[in-house]
Amino acid sequence: MSATATPPRNSPPANEVQMADDVRMLLTGNHAVSYGAMRARPQVVPIYPITPQTPIAEKISDLQLAGDFDVDLMTAESEHSAMSACITASLTGVRVFTATASQGLMLMHEMLHYASGARAPIVMVNVNRTIGSPWGFWPDQTDSLAQRDTGWIQYYTENGQESLDTVIQAFKVAEEVLLPAMVIHEAFYISHALEPVTVPSQERVDAYLPPFDPPHKLDTEIGESWGNVVNQDMFYRHRKDLGAAMDRVLEASVRADAEYKDTMGRGYGILEKYRTEDADLLIVAFGAMVGTARVAVDMLRAAGKAVGLLKIKLFRPFPIDAVRAAVAGVPRLVVMERNFSPGGGGVLHQELKAALYGMPDPPAVHGYLAGVGGVNVSPKKMVELAEKALTDEPVPGSVWQR
Amino acid sequence: MSEVTRRPTAGPAAASPGEVPTIWTTGWTDVFNTGTWRAATPIHEWRPSPCHADCPIGNAIPGWIAHIAEGAFKEAWLSLVETNPFPAVTGRVCHHPCEGHCNREVIETVVGINGLEHFLGDRALEEGWALPAPGEPQGRRVAVVGGGPAGLSCAYHLRRLGYDVTVFEARDELGGLLRYGIPEYRLAARVVDAEISRLLDMGIEVRTGAGVADRAALEGLEEEFDVVFLAVGAQQAKTLRYLEEGAGAGRVLDGLEYLRRCTEGVARDLGGRMTVIGGGSAAMDVARSARRLGHQVTVVALEARAAMPAQPEEIEQALEEGVALFDGAMVAALTAGADGGLTLRCVKVTLDPGAPAGELRPVPVEGGEFAVAADVIVTAIGQDPDLAAFGDAFGGGLTVERALLVVDPTTFVTTRAGVFAGGDVACADRFVSEAIGAGRRAAFSIAEYLSHPAAVIPGRPALEDAVNRKEVNPFYFDVAERRERVVAPATERLHSFAEMISAYSTEDAGAEAGRCMSCGICVECDNCFVFCPDMAVQKDASRAGAEDASRVGAEGGAAAEAAAAVAGDPATEPAAAANRVAAAGRVAAAVAHAPGAPPGSGPFYFVLDQYCKGCGLCVTECPRGAVRLEEVNL
Amino acid sequence: MYTYELDEEKVFNSGHNACPGCGEALAVRYVLNTMGPKTIGVVPPSCIAIICGPQPYSSMRIPVYQTTLEASAASAAGISRALKRQGKYDVNVLAMAGDGGTYDIGFQALSGAAERNEDMVYVCLDNEGYMNTGAQKSSSTPYLAVTSSTPGGKPSDKKDIAEIMAAHRIPYVATATVGYPDDLARKVAKARDMEGMRFIVVLTPCLDGWGVADDGAVRVSRLAVDTGFFPLYEVEDGERYTINHGPKGIPVERYLEQQKRYRHLDEEQVKEIQAGVDHRWRLLQARVEVAEGHAKAGPRTTNRMRGECT
Repeated sequence: MSATATPPRNSPPANEVQMADDVRMLLTGNHAVSYGAMRARPQVVPIYPITPQTPIAEKISDLQLAGDFDVDLMTAESEHSAMSACITASLTGVRVFTATASQGLMLMHEMLHYASGARAPIVMVNVNRTIGSPWGFWPDQTDSLAQRDTGWIQYYTENGQESLDTVIQAFKVAEEVLLPAMVIHEAFYISHALEPVTVPSQERVDAYLPPFDPPHKLDTEIGESWGNVVNQDMFYRHRKDLGAAMDRVLEASVRADAEYKDTMGRGYGILEKYRTEDADLLIVAFGAMVGTARVAVDMLRAAGKAVGLLKIKLFRPFPIDAVRAAVAGVPRLVVMERNFSPGGGGVLHQELKAALYGMPDPPAVHGYLAGVGGVNVSPKKMVELAEKALTDEPVPGSVWQR
Repeated sequence: MSEVTRRPTAGPAAASPGEVPTIWTTGWTDVFNTGTWRAATPIHEWRPSPCHADCPIGNAIPGWIAHIAEGAFKEAWLSLVETNPFPAVTGRVCHHPCEGHCNREVIETVVGINGLEHFLGDRALEEGWALPAPGEPQGRRVAVVGGGPAGLSCAYHLRRLGYDVTVFEARDELGGLLRYGIPEYRLAARVVDAEISRLLDMGIEVRTGAGVADRAALEGLEEEFDVVFLAVGAQQAKTLRYLEEGAGAGRVLDGLEYLRRCTEGVARDLGGRMTVIGGGSAAMDVARSARRLGHQVTVVALEARAAMPAQPEEIEQALEEGVALFDGAMVAALTAGADGGLTLRCVKVTLDPGAPAGELRPVPVEGGEFAVAADVIVTAIGQDPDLAAFGDAFGGGLTVERALLVVDPTTFVTTRAGVFAGGDVACADRFVSEAIGAGRRAAFSIAEYLSHPAAVIPGRPALEDAVNRKEVNPFYFDVAERRERVVAPATERLHSFAEMISAYSTEDAGAEAGRCMSCGICVECDNCFVFCPDMAVQKDASRAGAEDASRVGAEGGAAAEAAAAVAGDPATEPAAAANRVAAAGRVAAAVAHAPGAPPGSGPFYFVLDQYCKGCGLCVTECPRGAVRLEEVNL
Repeated sequence: MYTYELDEEKVFNSGHNACPGCGEALAVRYVLNTMGPKTIGVVPPSCIAIICGPQPYSSMRIPVYQTTLEASAASAAGISRALKRQGKYDVNVLAMAGDGGTYDIGFQALSGAAERNEDMVYVCLDNEGYMNTGAQKSSSTPYLAVTSSTPGGKPSDKKDIAEIMAAHRIPYVATATVGYPDDLARKVAKARDMEGMRFIVVLTPCLDGWGVADDGAVRVSRLAVDTGFFPLYEVEDGERYTINHGPKGIPVERYLEQQKRYRHLDEEQVKEIQAGVDHRWRLLQARVEVAEGHAKAGPRTTNRMRGECT
């Protein structure tokens, strides 16, 4: 905090990130998020601990104590309160960051709607973890996918570097369209895996991400109130406005990513095609499974199979046109995903089929529920599944595969 | 708060032209007309207090009491003499019906209004305060016949209205009953002298020893004056003839005669034992005067004690002074006593409740006979105007009915053009204050008859229109026991005709005045303003002073200001401007109807029609019933 | 004679949608007009939210954020922290919630904010039930009061929120009511000028929910105090008790008889309520005595809650 000029006792060793240049560090995915958040300079971080999100909060606390991260860390008594404070802090006109996982996200659910309705550009990292009951701690995307209707932008990342970079990009997009954004990575596979990560310099991030200055805010000099009761017509128009803002995210995300690439040298797009040339089959995946799929695709290509990968990074809004363009001419797709919507199947599977409906010569779409509950899907297993998808006739529903 | 500066609407709340933004407010709810929910409207108005309604003189009592509470004694007195030029007299002898319905009863006891008047009257005499100057000369002359309370009161008000007044008094000195009918220990002659002398200082001509005894005299007055006001009082004592025959012959005296003798210091030896017949103040005066002169006194009154016309404290004091009282009794017959005195054969009676109003019809109680011994009997059972003595003098056009001159009860016009009458000569309510009140109203009536530009006969508010006990809010008043005037001990009283009741000390007067709840008279306590959940009660800005505009308080304005506001207001606020006009109109109306309101004052508060929901909180929380809820006519 | 000296600023606006004679609207008037224009408000769903006005109009000339029913204290904390980050130390944060949003569903957020000693004035406008939804019981509904969810009378006692908040050792806790608007305004002003978590519970009669006449809000809330049913007091730092207005020897029956929600009571039940009132009054007096004893014992060692937010 600004008032804390001298580092308090018990601070970590003089910090490794007091640097003007980008630095390369060995970081877990969660710690990478903490550094990304620090660079984005949020002023208030209301947060509540939950496995496997806790290293994010802990690292932010350490960075704050060391004097590197000038932030007001509010240790809320619940995720619900944390998100409640996020919304009002954001509406008061400061940049806000938080992180949660699983049950925490479930508890926030009500306030997630409030956040998007309030058009509060909060950025939150969710670490995907199984939702009880029964109790578990395993990677599973169902928690965040269950929030797909809350009006939050959703980015799914495949490693710590991407999480760090996406947190910064997410602020840029969120503050442009005035919608909250969730950056999502999976428990342990990403959250706790150590990888070399480049932390961009503060100067570069500052150049990329200007200070937050919303057009409306809770300010006694302005006097506007937020949230007074509306009539049907106003609610209709409000939702329509929200939808239009969400639609703008597609273009804004592409632009934000391109600018980021120009500044930092790294970019991701809103989706990514990997070795898709002349493919007979594309594996469609998001999250941690993308990394595995890259290896599987390499193995399949080495074996002479024309199989590629389509990575979905931006899930909300769902990039329908980009997805259609990416799969045009490909005869078969197989979705491999770590989530399950009972009675519906794999969420990406449903979303993809819906996106392709009405497309001329659409690909056949297989949906494999691989890895639900954190079950490991190895590259070898993925190769097997891809081969199966190359020959099997697709069925309408998602198929359990392990 | 200064009006917030608002940025142009941009971002997510941007709406098409004409469309309301879906989030982030843009204005305030004062555009809404929540006043349309209302089924009733609070009206701020001066309402009569019960003391005012009960005052025979029409005195707006809470006004001057409030001044006493502030320590502004002269203002208080000036307010009081607006109606009554004799506060030192009435502060002593008024039967003070004002205290009868005083709402202070809901806290502990009624306010000592009569004592406060006594205090103020004496303070004015001590300080030598002058009555208000006469009004603009009207160039018309009025003859007042009779220098008692009614005549002098009429003279006072006529003089204030600018008329030349000449008072004709048959006796040597002015005062009438005040001088000749009330004993010194109750009303000292010096008090009567002082208040009359102060009155005459206004420029009233007096002709004493100048009774109007015949028709020619009246016609002479009519010739010389524009109007004649007859206030000759009731000089003819009622008698009980059956007592004056036989044994009673020469031993029966009437009360007026007895009191006059006492006053003139020529009371003769009438024998040791006196029986006074009567239950009014005059009977008490006779009995107590006689006690002071050493008589053994018995009073026989027709009414039961609680119904006797005398004031309860008079009876109480008479008993303290050793007067024996037989109430609810009458003297049936008189016989000569063995000791050379008289034996009064008495009987207990009840009064027939079916008797016509004003008539006492005693019914003897079986077995209620008793006897009283006496040397002399004094009857004090009332008087009639001595009209017979004038022979035909007033016959020409004047009408007499039931021993009274017939007048219109409102205008005091007799049946003879240009001749007015009031006081005991025309009215059976024989109280000093009634006479003063009649004189006052008659003066305004005379002025109206003489086409005075500003004369309006003062109405007397009806008790049912006055603020009642349910309409005051006891929460706002702390318990404070009534202060009492000091009364000399009976033993002391019996040795002297000196005044026996001392006026309040300044401290007691202040404390007693502080007990007045000021019923129906807004004292600008702010409760109606404070308790409005809709901020619909506002204060008149012109009187609230130029306060900081960001503070809640002054809003709107007085009539002129409101009218200007209509003309100059931006079109955005027509409803508010219209409200201000309506409110200003209401202020003016209230002022016009305010009984005895101080000049230039008006209700400090007004109600914004646009917002008032008619809940009545302002009415309930008004401590004194100065706000009334009126149903909205739909 | 009792008169009110009140210094208000123009914050609360006419044209709001409260019922005629609403006690809560009156409380809002004195809370807002005392807090002043340099205030940001938080309001959860409640009658207060209705009073706020329909979009795009506001009855409050300050920025107000309408949050969810359970989140008032957390939402206020978010504003308070953001203001400090902006260097706006002169702007007050005011949460105004009903008893449901305070005693019940909002309690966790309130307790958390109190523990962190968040910098806000939290005013609970307590009308002893879920009045905006048709008068259901809350944990603030008093013993034996009829609500639409306790048609036979509530079988349990009212939660003592002031004592619960005092136990958090926050800088300021007070009880107030619209029957004593000067006392209410003074407490709001006092709270406004302090720092950290300040909590005021204001008894605000609901005319419809309690079955009180349109002009009765003030009378009834005053009787609540004068009968000892709801004494007015303050607690500083969780230990220094000051009683402002206590019972004046008026039987609690005078209070109960003003309200339809108590009309079913029999004589025994009235006695039982009176006994409870008497007992709680003795307990409160005992707390004052303990506090006075401590004061005499010597210099006060601080009992004050330390704040997370500075």
